[in-house]
Amino acid sequence: MDKKNEKSEAKGKGGNKPPQSDKPSQSDKPEGFLQVERIPNFNLLPKSIKRRVYALKRLQLQSANIEAKFYEEVHELERKYAGLYQPMFDKRREIVTGAVEPTDEECEWQSDKEEDELAADLQKKAALEEKQADSASAVDPKGIPDFWLTIFKHVDMLGEMLQEHDEPILKHLQDITVKFSEPGQPMSFTLEFHFEPNSFFSNSVLTKVYKMKSEPDAEDPFSFEGPEIVDCEGCKIDWQKGKDVTVKIVKKKQKHKGRGTIRTVSKEIPQDSFFNFFSPVKSSPDGMDEDLDFTLAADFETGHFFRERVIPRAVLYFTGEALEDDDSFEEEDLEEGEEEDLDEEGEEEDEGDIDPTKDPPPAECKQQ
Amino acid sequence: MADLDNKDQTEMDPADMEDVEEVEEEETGEDNSKARQLTMQMMQNPQILAALQERLDGLVGSPSGYMESLPKVVKRRVNALKNLQVKCAHIEAKFYEEVHELERKYAALYQPLFDKRSDIVRAAYEPTDEECEWKQDEEEELTVSKQEEMKEKAKVEEEKKDEEKEDPKGIPEFWLTVFKNVDLLSEMLQEHDEPILKHLQDIKVKFSDAGQPMSFTLEFHFEPNDFFTQTVLTKTYKMRSEPDESDPFSFDGPEIMGCTGCTIDWSKGKNVTLKTIKKKQKHKGRGTVRTVTKTVPNDSFFNFFSPPEVPETGELDEDSEAVLAADFEIGHFIRERIVPRAVLYFTGEAIEDDDDDYDEEGEEADDEEGEEEADEENDPDYEPKV
Repeated sequence: MDKKNEKSEAKGKGGNKPPQSDKPSQSDKPEGFLQVERIPNFNLLPKSIKRRVYALKRLQLQSANIEAKFYEEVHELERKYAGLYQPMFDKRREIVTGAVEPTDEECEWQSDKEEDELAADLQKKAALEEKQADSASAVDPKGIPDFWLTIFKHVDMLGEMLQEHDEPILKHLQDITVKFSEPGQPMSFTLEFHFEPNSFFSNSVLTKVYKMKSEPDAEDPFSFEGPEIVDCEGCKIDWQKGKDVTVKIVKKKQKHKGRGTIRTVSKEIPQDSFFNFFSPVKSSPDGMDEDLDFTLAADFETGHFFRERVIPRAVLYFTGEALEDDDSFEEEDLEEGEEEDLDEEGEEEDEGDIDPTKDPPPAECKQQ
Repeated sequence: MADLDNKDQTEMDPADMEDVEEVEEEETGEDNSKARQLTMQMMQNPQILAALQERLDGLVGSPSGYMESLPKVVKRRVNALKNLQVKCAHIEAKFYEEVHELERKYAALYQPLFDKRSDIVRAAYEPTDEECEWKQDEEEELTVSKQEEMKEKAKVEEEKKDEEKEDPKGIPEFWLTVFKNVDLLSEMLQEHDEPILKHLQDIKVKFSDAGQPMSFTLEFHFEPNDFFTQTVLTKTYKMRSEPDESDPFSFDGPEIMGCTGCTIDWSKGKNVTLKTIKKKQKHKGRGTVRTVTKTVPNDSFFNFFSPPEVPETGELDEDSEAVLAADFEIGHFIRERIVPRAVLYFTGEAIEDDDDDYDEEGEEADDEEGEEEADEENDPDYEPKV
């Protein structure tokens, strides 16, 4: 009885829900993480028992090494399936850019018919707007205009990175793809942002590489939870003259102390922009200050999110359907109506047999 | 034109109208008369209205009306994308099947390690000195100097001789300790469960075979005891591993959707899931009092083996649903965390890890800190360079 009370005071939440090891973030484990034995009487155990516990820990180490191989194989599986999804994503790109027009059969969607019945008025108006649009400007929208830009706006995590001056550029974003590292290479994945020719920069593809650590740390083998993003690399953007939205020019008037003359100096300073995504802070092995650490962690989270959610399910973010699902992951303030739902969604997550976790596939990228 | 104006007004809710104005102010800002002109034009152009709707929906956060505002030709293509997405969901289901196979394969690779663990725990095997070599905590190293260690070793050997009778075998109460250390499990634990759980020797996870519906079974292995006759109690969790036809996009990987326990053959008087209570009843007519003994359910960990059943049709009541949801969580947790990493829960190390996880989530939830760049524009400290 006493032991139980002791314990419940000592612990906070404890294991109240399965760890969401899909969430990416830099490993926050302090260096030389002390493996402090926490049960009140561990150090009081007879030596003979302690000895056997150490034997179990050695076995656990062997487990961790086998687990690393497991994740390698999962990564291979992901690579294989990336190949199977690709034709679908290629077709998506063709439809989005208007390169291909889907057939009527390909556009049949069941629930929409029900929605249309309920929203008959809106449909009529949409049709009328359509006619007016045609006659007014004779512009037949090609593909799905602003597809990816719309997704950015719908998703809080991305919308926060988006500045007004980024929008005209992102209108030219045609596709985002994921490429996996080859077997035998250090584990990594690359996000490729494909742009149509535009007046902002000359690149047609901007890339961001995320490097992962996929083996237990020799000094702290038990903190291993699967592959973790540990570093990333952007790319150089060849901006056209005067189009670089990651910098802004400020003019300063300076007075010469001696002569009293005034001159105007132009200075370039960094500016908030989504395109800073391609010039991330480099992670230093010596450790960094807290702010940088936090920024990098947020970057890793974004990279993970693109790979696991946005790219595989883009259309659902475009329509907004996927956003409700994700609300259960985002712990930001919910709109009033959604608070009730959160419990259910939270439970569903927990029910999920994730192998390891629900938000995306097994452990490929387990970030704590 | 007049018709269009009327249509506009019925389309746009008064609320929308207000929002539209606000948006416009943000966009133009500088020249008011220009803004007004622009407004007039905007209100008359359906494409712009659609774009504004888009913007509004972006502002609101749950763009429910978004699809409706799209031109028909675009909507059509979005539907084509949705059909592609359904195909993706089915491919994803196959992916998870293959992951499950991989898990099955690795379960076999882990098993020898878990078997060895079980042997050590229940004293079927005494590990060699080499097998027990472990770099001790820095804390332990600090507090126990080498000299003291040597003294201790000598002392221990003597103690071993003295205490041969009391020499604890294996790791006593290993699994019971794990239960007590983990909130999720200790919450299920009652005092009367503890003597029984002292006999728990191992918890194993078994996976469904290829081709069978996806499921996993937790096996609780007990040494012979006087509470029940079985040596193994089982709990099977069934999973849904394919997208639901009526809602294909909610599929996010295999999900536990039901579970079955087992019947425990309790020895007489030992069933801790029941308790008898005595009630005094007074006969209304005669006035005589009698004592009635009644059997009612009792809280116990062992109710874990009699979960609420999910009916084929209809739904469970709220309470049972909550019980089931918690049950699924526990089943998942035992499979994913406890069984693979038991020793770390025994020592308590893994509990800190779990706590870290939760702390981190809390931090991540915070809105990102404001811009980190200094706002140099307003910095009045201009220094002459010359």
